[in-house]
Amino acid sequence: MNKMTKTSEQHLASNADESVELISRRNFFRKAAVYSASAVAATSILSPVKLNAADDPAIVHEAEWGIKLGDPVTKNRYGVPSPYEHNNTRRTTSLLASGDDYASISMCPIHEQEGIITPNGLFFNRVHGGVAHVDPKGYRLMIHGLVEKPLVLTLDELKRYPSVSRVHFVECPANGGPEWRGPQFNSIQFAKGMMSQAEWTGVMIKDLIADLGLKPEAKWMLAEGCDNSEMGRTVPVEKVLDDAMIVWAQNGEALRPEQGYPVRLMLPGWEGNLQVKWLKRLEFSKEPFYAKEETAKYTVLTPSGKAIQHFYPLEVNSIITSPCPEKPWTDLKKGDLVEIQGLAWSGQGTIKTVDISFDGGDNWVEASLKGLILPKAWTRFSYMYRYEGKPLLLSSRAIDDSGHIQPTIDQETAVVGVEAVYHRNSICTWEVTDKGVVNNVHIRS
Amino acid sequence: MFTLDRKKIISSALVASVILLGTACNASTETEKAPAKTETKTEVVKTVPETQATAATGDKGIDGGAVYTIKDGMYTSYAVNEQAKKDFTFGRTPSKTEEAAWDIDVMPDGTGLPEGSGSVEDGDEIYEEQCAMCHGDFGSGGKGSRSTYPTLSGGEHDSLTYQRVGDNTDGPKRVIGSYWPQASTLFWYVQSGMPFNHPKSLSDDETYAVVAYLLSINEIEIDGEEMDDEYVLDREKFMKIKMPNEDGFIPVIDGPDGPANVKKFLADPNNYGNGTRCMKDCLEGEKPNIVRIKTEINAFEPPMSVERSFKEAEASGPIHPGQKVYESSCAACHATDAMGAPPSGDKAAWDTKLEKGIDVVYANGINGINAMPPKGGNMTLTDDQFKAAVDFMIDSAK
Ligand code: HEC
Ligand code: HEC
Repeated sequence: MNKMTKTSEQHLASNADESVELISRRNFFRKAAVYSASAVAATSILSPVKLNAADDPAIVHEAEWGIKLGDPVTKNRYGVPSPYEHNNTRRTTSLLASGDDYASISMCPIHEQEGIITPNGLFFNRVHGGVAHVDPKGYRLMIHGLVEKPLVLTLDELKRYPSVSRVHFVECPANGGPEWRGPQFNSIQFAKGMMSQAEWTGVMIKDLIADLGLKPEAKWMLAEGCDNSEMGRTVPVEKVLDDAMIVWAQNGEALRPEQGYPVRLMLPGWEGNLQVKWLKRLEFSKEPFYAKEETAKYTVLTPSGKAIQHFYPLEVNSIITSPCPEKPWTDLKKGDLVEIQGLAWSGQGTIKTVDISFDGGDNWVEASLKGLILPKAWTRFSYMYRYEGKPLLLSSRAIDDSGHIQPTIDQETAVVGVEAVYHRNSICTWEVTDKGVVNNVHIRS
Repeated sequence: MFTLDRKKIISSALVASVILLGTACNASTETEKAPAKTETKTEVVKTVPETQATAATGDKGIDGGAVYTIKDGMYTSYAVNEQAKKDFTFGRTPSKTEEAAWDIDVMPDGTGLPEGSGSVEDGDEIYEEQCAMCHGDFGSGGKGSRSTYPTLSGGEHDSLTYQRVGDNTDGPKRVIGSYWPQASTLFWYVQSGMPFNHPKSLSDDETYAVVAYLLSINEIEIDGEEMDDEYVLDREKFMKIKMPNEDGFIPVIDGPDGPANVKKFLADPNNYGNGTRCMKDCLEGEKPNIVRIKTEINAFEPPMSVERSFKEAEASGPIHPGQKVYESSCAACHATDAMGAPPSGDKAAWDTKLEKGIDVVYANGINGINAMPPKGGNMTLTDDQFKAAVDFMIDSAK
C-alpha cells in the first residue's frame, strides 16, 4: 500500500479496475483481476500451494474480496446490513392480525439477537392503525388537565430539555399469548418475538412537569398518540413521577417511524401498549379514562369471569435463545463444549438469578449472568455445557430483585386460567432430541 | 428461600456502568453536585420515598416492582445528572380552542361527551355503509386480507367464565355487550378511531347513531327500555347506560383509593401467578408431562430461514406513481376481494369494471359506489392522485 501513487489514491473512490492499474504491483493484480473475474475464488498467486483434499479452499484460495477493491465510502449514505444477512428480518403471520396488516404485529428475530441491544430495523412492530409518518415540523406535544400551567411544545423545544439515556426492553403483553392452551409455533421468533430492547433517549417526565405544577388531586395521566389509532392509555401519576420518560431517540438516532417518530412515551418495564407512540397529548386527571385498550383489550380475564385491569408491569421472564428451534444443535458432536445462553428480564425490577434445568424442571442449576445487569432490561445468562448427544428438556427460570420468581405453566394457569391472552410469563422449555433438533414443548404435571 | 450474593451482582453492575457511562461520571464534579441534589430531591421526587440503597429500596412501586433511588449520583448503574432542573422557559400555554380541539376523550362520568342525538335506524344505515365491509352484518366480524376483523356483537356475559381446557371448546366471548365496562369507551373510540381507514370523520350525531346501533345489536337496555329501530340516543340517555360487565374488573380503579387499590393488588404476585425456587427433585418422582405442538402454525412471511446465502438484489424497477397512495389509502380494502372490492392486480376483476370505460371507473371511485367510500375515504387526495392509484391497481395486473 505504501507504494501507491498519489493518483491511485485519488482514484480509490472511483472504478476499482482503474485504480488497480496504477498500483506498482501491477502485474500480479492484473492477473488476479482476470482470475477473479472468471472464478469466484482465484488460486493465490502470491503463495501458490499444492492442494490436498483436506485443505480448506476458503484458506488456500484467494477469496474474491481480498483481491479487488471494495465499495467506495460514498456507497451507502445510510449503512445497510450485509446482503448475506437477508434472513435476519422481522416476520409476520396472519394469525396475529386483527383483520389486515394495519392492525397487526411483526415479530423480532430474537434467535439472531446478539447482546442486549436490538438494531433499530429489527425492533418488533405492533400497530393499531398503521405506521404513521409524522412531519416533525407539524409535531406538537400538549400537556394539560390538572396542572397549574398547561404547556405546548414543538419538537425542537422538547429536545431542549436535559436528556437521559436508559436501556429498557419493550414487550407486548401478548408475547407468548397464542400459546396459553399449548405450543403452536416451533420458532422462538413467533413464540417470544414480541419484544426488543434499545437505549432510549429523552427527558424524564418528572423533570419536565416540575415547572407545570401538578395539582394535588391529579392521580392519573392520559397518554394519547397523534396517529390513526390514538392509542389512549391511563397511567398512574406515581409512575409518571418515578421513571417515566418522553423519548425521541433509540440507539443513538431518531426514533424509527415504527417506534413512534418523532416522540413516544417510555414507561420502563410496562406493557408495550402503554408506551404510546407518536405521542401527542398528556392530560392529568382525578379519575381514570377507560380507553378501549385498557378495557376491551389488554385486560386479563381469569376463570372467575373477572378480568384484571391496569395490569401494567411485564412480570419476570426468561427464554433460552441458543439453542432454539431456529438455531439447533444439529452440528454438535458428543464432547463439544457449548454455551447455552438466553435472555432474562423483568418489568418489576432487575434480574438477580437465572436457573437452568435439563430434565423438564425436575432439577435446576444456577446459570451465570453476563454483561450489563440493568433494571427493567434484558439481561444475558449463560451456562457452559458439555454436549452428550442425548435428549434434553431445557428450561430457564428467572428471579428478580423484587422477589418475583418465574412460575411453571401449572403455577401460572392455576391462578389466571388459559383465556388471559396477555401477561404469559411461565417457564419455557425446548425439547432437544438426540440429533440436536430443538422443539417447542410445554411441561405440565 | 434462597441466598444469593447480591453484592456480587451489584458490584459487577457498577463496574459495567463505569465503562458505559465513564464520561458522564467524569463530567460532573462534587461541587456541582452538592447544591443541585437538594433541589431535585424536594422538587421532583414526590411520591417515591428516598432511602439509602443504590439498588432496590425494598419498597414496592405501584406495579408491585422494585423502587430505585439516586445514591451518590448513581441510579442503579446509571450516573445521574443532578444539576438544577427547574424554571425552564420552553414552549407556551395552549389556547382554550387548542385544548378543546385535541381533548375529545369521553370519560365514564360524561366528561367530554358532546350534546347530540342519533337513532338506531340511522346508525344501522351508517353501519351498512361504513362499517359492515369490515365488521360484517350485525357486527358478526368480517373477513379481512389477513384474518377476521373484530366481532362487535353476539357475546353472552356468562361466557366470561368459560375456559377452553379438556373437552371444552367454547371460550369466553369478549365483545362490547358482554365485556366492555363503560359505554363512554365506545363513543370515544368510534369517534376517534373508526372507521379504521378514515377515522375522526363521524359527526357527533352520526356517532350517537352508530353507537346506538352497536348497543342495540348487543341487546343493551337503557333504563329498562329495549333499543328498537326508532330508539333515539342522546346525551341524557347515554348517561343512564349501565353496561352488563361494569363490575367485571379488578382491582377497583375509581375514586380516591384507585391507585392504592392497584398497588395493593399488584404487590401480591399470587394474584397473577408466582413461582417457587425449587432446585432438586421438584417433580417429586413424577416424569415431566411433555405437551408437543399439535397443529403447527408456520405460515410465516417471509418463510423462516437462517440461511446466509447471497440473495441477488431484486431487480427493482421504478416505483409506480400511484403505489404510495394505494398502500396508504386503498390497500386496506383492495389487497384482496374479502370486502367485495376489485383486488389490486386482479385482471379479471378490473376488466369487468373497465367495460364501462376508464372514466366511469374513475368517477365511480371519486364519488363512491356501494361500499367504496368517495376517494376511498381519503378526501385529501387530488383527483390525479386518486386516478394514479386506480392505474396502479389496474397496471399491477399481470
Ligand atoms: C377497514 C376496515 C374497518 C372499517 C371500515 C371499520 N372498522 Fe372498526 N375495526 C377495524 C379494526 C382493524 C379494528 C381493530 C383495531 C385495533 O387493533 O386496535 C376495529 C375495531 C373496532 C372496534 C373495537 C372492537 C373491540 O372489541 O375491540 C369497534 C367498536 C369498531 N371497530 C367500530 C367500527 C365502526 C362503528 C365502524 C364504522 C363507522 C368501523 N368500526 C369501521 C376495522 C374496521
Ligand atoms: C373501505 C374500503 C375501501 C377503500 C379504503 C377503498 N376502496 Fe375502492 N372499492 C371498495 C369496494 C367495496 C369496491 C366495490 C364497490 C362495488 O362495486 O360495489 C371498490 C371499488 C373501487 C373502484 C371501482 C369503481 C367502479 O367503477 O365500480 C375503484 C376505481 C376504486 N375502488 C378505487 C379505489 C382507490 C383508488 C382507493 C384508494 C384511494 C380505494 N378504492 C379505497 C372499497 C374500498
